[in-house]
Amino acid sequence: MTQEHVLEIQRITKRFAGHVAVSDLSLSVPRGVVYGLLGPNGAGKTTTIRMVMNIIIPDEGVVRLFGDDLGGRHHSARIGYLPEERGLYKKMRVRDTLVFLAEAKGVTRAAAAGKADLWLERLGLADWRLRKVEELSKGMQQKVQFISTMLHAPELVILDEPFAGLDPINAQTLKDIIVELARGGTTIVFSTHQMDVAEKICDHVCIIARGSKVLDGGLSEVKRVHGGTHVAVAFEDGGDRAVGILGDRSLVAKADDYGPYAELALADGADPQDLLERLVRSGARLRRFERIEPSLHRIFLDKVGVEAAQPGAEVASA
Amino acid sequence: MRKIWAVVRREFLERVRSKWFIISTVLGPVFMIGITVLPALLASRSGGVRTMAVVDWGSGAFGSRLVAQLGTGNRFNALLLRATARDTAAVLDSLTHQVQAKALDGFLVVGDVTVESGLADYRGRNVTSLRDMAILEGILRQAVVMERLTRSGIDPAVVQEAQARIELRKLRISRRGATGETGEATFVLAYIIGFVIYMGIVLYGVNVMRSVIDEKQTRIIEVLVSSLKPFQLMLGKVIGVGGVGLFQFAIWGAVAALLVRYRQVVFSLLGVPPEQAAAVMLPAVGGGLVFLVLAYFLLGYILYSAMFAVVGAVVNTESEAQQAQMPVMMLLVVAIIMFPAVLQEPGGQVAAALGLIPFSSPIIMPIRYAASDVPASEVAMSLAVLAASTLAVVWLAGRIYRVGILMYGKRPGVRELMRWARES
Repeated sequence: MTQEHVLEIQRITKRFAGHVAVSDLSLSVPRGVVYGLLGPNGAGKTTTIRMVMNIIIPDEGVVRLFGDDLGGRHHSARIGYLPEERGLYKKMRVRDTLVFLAEAKGVTRAAAAGKADLWLERLGLADWRLRKVEELSKGMQQKVQFISTMLHAPELVILDEPFAGLDPINAQTLKDIIVELARGGTTIVFSTHQMDVAEKICDHVCIIARGSKVLDGGLSEVKRVHGGTHVAVAFEDGGDRAVGILGDRSLVAKADDYGPYAELALADGADPQDLLERLVRSGARLRRFERIEPSLHRIFLDKVGVEAAQPGAEVASA
Repeated sequence: MRKIWAVVRREFLERVRSKWFIISTVLGPVFMIGITVLPALLASRSGGVRTMAVVDWGSGAFGSRLVAQLGTGNRFNALLLRATARDTAAVLDSLTHQVQAKALDGFLVVGDVTVESGLADYRGRNVTSLRDMAILEGILRQAVVMERLTRSGIDPAVVQEAQARIELRKLRISRRGATGETGEATFVLAYIIGFVIYMGIVLYGVNVMRSVIDEKQTRIIEVLVSSLKPFQLMLGKVIGVGGVGLFQFAIWGAVAALLVRYRQVVFSLLGVPPEQAAAVMLPAVGGGLVFLVLAYFLLGYILYSAMFAVVGAVVNTESEAQQAQMPVMMLLVVAIIMFPAVLQEPGGQVAAALGLIPFSSPIIMPIRYAASDVPASEVAMSLAVLAASTLAVVWLAGRIYRVGILMYGKRPGVRELMRWARES
């Protein structure tokens, strides 16, 4: 079954002077999925990706790519990597840059040159291919960077915070590329702290915080298992009469309360039907009462909040 | 291997295409022509015939002898004017006008007092020409001495013979026998070799450093390090930039060989008279010297560029590098400071020691070899020490480089560098 997993991380740990960046982390990325590595800033996402890419070496644990442990550098021709900190040679011509970066990954010159032209054409940079990188606008440079990541038709694409710092048009371009590659069977791993983006394009997610895994799995499975029971309620009268009910911890575990509108996470074993009944009895005038699927953002906040927050500093509840 | 080759190729092509490379490559031969042709050209230009008058207000015998003497060389064209004590002032006045009108370059005023007390006046436009004045003084001295001796009754023919010009030709004897090279030519050759190697190491070493800083600053290093090993990257860089150096030297060498071969054409094109052109001494450059220069340049360049790569890896910006490169520069400067001492005594103990120390041998040893005979065993020893040190430094540099290129922020101290080198 190993062959089914393009990337397997087995209990890796990385310590830097003073702190543990990644601790005993394991995860598996099945072939052909879009895999979101989610976590707050400083969770260890970049460190994990760097260990996968052989840029830094784990203190403990093993990274297996394509079924072996030879490392990202060995497989560089099969992997497209877009680091968080981006940059290109300023003085080099666009096309030369692309060909060089592909060659450095082990792709032949001739193959790289042909593909560079196709991609430049596709992203509307054909006229710029003989210009120096520094003559391009920032948005164009970002496109060149995408091309350098995808040029060699990698089987596995690893993107570290790919949407950070992109203008809306380029963000859309990149999203389109990711979706298209995913349809073509490319496995995509990307890290982000933007849950809305992850929710739209990921099949699988792994949430990490403080260097450790919080949860992972298929997106729908994660929602089912970790989502709990969520209810959205809206009141016509501002919801003053419902305050006591929403504050009942045996019924409502957590409330994201905006006054006339609230999103509630019910306590384990609590029945939404009971809640509705009590609300009706309290005389509160309901405009809406709906069981909702929790957003990834909600799950992320719930899980990471619990992990990261000090006791008592939880999400405010009314 | 293909990955290293990609880096070599990039470093080489990006540099060879740059303005900097093209300009310096063209300036090299211009400089070569300049240093050989210019002195000859200057000598011939200032060697134009000077027209002057000799005013003799004495008996006239000394004046006519002087004019004859001045006429023997082809430097002065003199005519004699007799003057009496009464009209001297008027004659000098009119001559001054002629000098101002550029009809004359100047005039020499002599009299009997010149022979007796050695006093003479020269007034002219070319008094600042040291060469003119030296020749004029020489001729005047010769004429005065001859006049005095003749008056004492010595046969003028004997005097003439006694004053025959003395010229000391300084020729170098090497192990291969008399070389026909003059001491000056050997000195200049050694100087140029040392200078070119020094400049090559500094310029190309700093290029490697800049390249490292550039990759670090633009953060492209992250993508590179995920594709190839840091050591492969460093090696590719050193080889690529070194290739540019060799390429440039090859162009210069070929142009120099052509210039030497067709020097008569070049000289006539630039208007250097044949007799001046013949006087240009070109040192003999043997195959052994060429080999040694290349070997020492290459090893020295690799040694220093590895150190420069480390400097590039531990700093964040180029301005920071200015300061951080000082220790490396100092090592090179030591060799340059000792340059004259080594030329003074190429076989001495100081020269021998500097020729063995790997940080100075790339510059000192070729100088010694060019200027004197260095035993083959000494050369072999020096090369072996240099090669071994280069390997050790490259290995150590690779270990520090690997860590440094991914570090940003505060510059590490020496102790931290050692820790990086120890850690795997």
